[in-house]
Amino acid sequence: MIGRVLALARKELRQLFASPIAYVVGTAYVALTGIYFFQHLVSYNQLLFVYQSEGLGGGGFDQGTVPSHINVLNEVFVPAADDFGLFLLVVLPLVTMRVFAEERASGTDELLLTSGLRPFEVALAKHAVTYLFVVLLLAASAIYPAVVVSRAALGFEHLIALYVGQLPCSSFTSSQIVAAVLGYSIPFVLLDFAWLSNAVSEPVARALGEIALLGHYGSFPRGVIELREVLYFASIAFLGWLASLTALELGRAR
Amino acid sequence: MSARIEARNVSKRFGGVVALDDLSLDVAPGEVFGLIGPNGAGKTTFIRILTGFWLASEGDVRLDGVSVTRDRFRVQARLGYACEQPKLYADHSVDAFLRFVGGLRGLHGAGLRGAIGRSIERMGLEPVRGRRIGVLSKGFRQRVALAQALLHDPPLLVVDEPTVGLDPAQQIELRRILSGLRGTHTVLLCTHQLHEAEAICDRVALLDRGRLAAIATAEEIRAGAGLEALFLARVGRSAQAEPAT
Repeated sequence: MIGRVLALARKELRQLFASPIAYVVGTAYVALTGIYFFQHLVSYNQLLFVYQSEGLGGGGFDQGTVPSHINVLNEVFVPAADDFGLFLLVVLPLVTMRVFAEERASGTDELLLTSGLRPFEVALAKHAVTYLFVVLLLAASAIYPAVVVSRAALGFEHLIALYVGQLPCSSFTSSQIVAAVLGYSIPFVLLDFAWLSNAVSEPVARALGEIALLGHYGSFPRGVIELREVLYFASIAFLGWLASLTALELGRAR
Repeated sequence: MSARIEARNVSKRFGGVVALDDLSLDVAPGEVFGLIGPNGAGKTTFIRILTGFWLASEGDVRLDGVSVTRDRFRVQARLGYACEQPKLYADHSVDAFLRFVGGLRGLHGAGLRGAIGRSIERMGLEPVRGRRIGVLSKGFRQRVALAQALLHDPPLLVVDEPTVGLDPAQQIELRRILSGLRGTHTVLLCTHQLHEAEAICDRVALLDRGRLAAIATAEEIRAGAGLEALFLARVGRSAQAEPAT
């Protein structure tokens, strides 16, 4: 089983990095995160300057005049982590939408699924490679925080979990356009259900709040990893894998 | 000798459309068996059920006694499949593609290298083994498809329309390759080309609108007026109503 998964994963990696999409997406993501991180850093420095300026705190450039909540974590890392997640949500479907849809469109799914490869192995290999791509993107974007503070925590789990909705979406359709539309819409809908809260009863609104991504994200940018939240994002990743698997099996019984 | 392929009462429906209707047939080991019929006759549907790509609505196909419905992965391990208009990865070199397929087939190390070498030699791919599949001619792409199908040396080779789009020389060469497998491999050949089936098949099954219209051996065909006459007698009228392309 491992040999088959590795063979498919190697093929996926080869195809991913043989196309310009991975490089365009990677460059766009690193550029966007760099610009926004730097912008937050500049704003933080300006804020520090203002607080430490004579006449505001009354203490001139005295360190003690800066309120404790004005710190690098709250002013740079937390908003940067939010931005990074959002950018990932925007750029990642460009890569993930092709993962299953391209196989169907080109007919190579017939080769894969008649060569003894189990559908769960197909889903596993394809998900593993796209996770690896996310890890590479995050590693590249982590350079900036690492330069500023070595203990930076970027909410890695959150960023991965935000994107898993793309994979099952792309496996449900042979149209890359439809896959992209679904891939963009599902994570954005899952992101926050606050917009629905006035239209539904309180228990339903509470339940929706429990499954919304944002509700489980709060502690990650502060570097706090809670088991409950890790399990939540792992469950979403598992559901994504399961949805891909189901789509492959349903295709067989068409 | 027991049959290599045993199809029993196989049907496939897509909503209200019956693509395959109660098809039963046997194929013997070492035989080159042709499936012939007009478009929509159910040839590719049968092949996709046999290879485990699709699930039959009713009935079952067995390969060496193993049911494709119950254990498709054991069936897939015993067959190689070159589908119509080979679906290959154009960005791979021939070598890389065969390494990939070998990996899927559980081959590795010296076993994989040996299998690739044999397949390349058998299909005459040595001059193009380092080239990207996307730049190869249709004839070479078809050979690559056959090479991957034979990589793990399966007892059954399933080939769907192998000569479509090939020039006459390439067609002759592919027929020679398929004929050369007789005896060592069972070949299930799905084709529109009556003369091709007549030239290389030991037996042919004529399918028409999902049903088995006739089965004839090469001797019976030669003793009669030929495959074309048999086709016109058994399928011709409906083929005219729904022209094959």
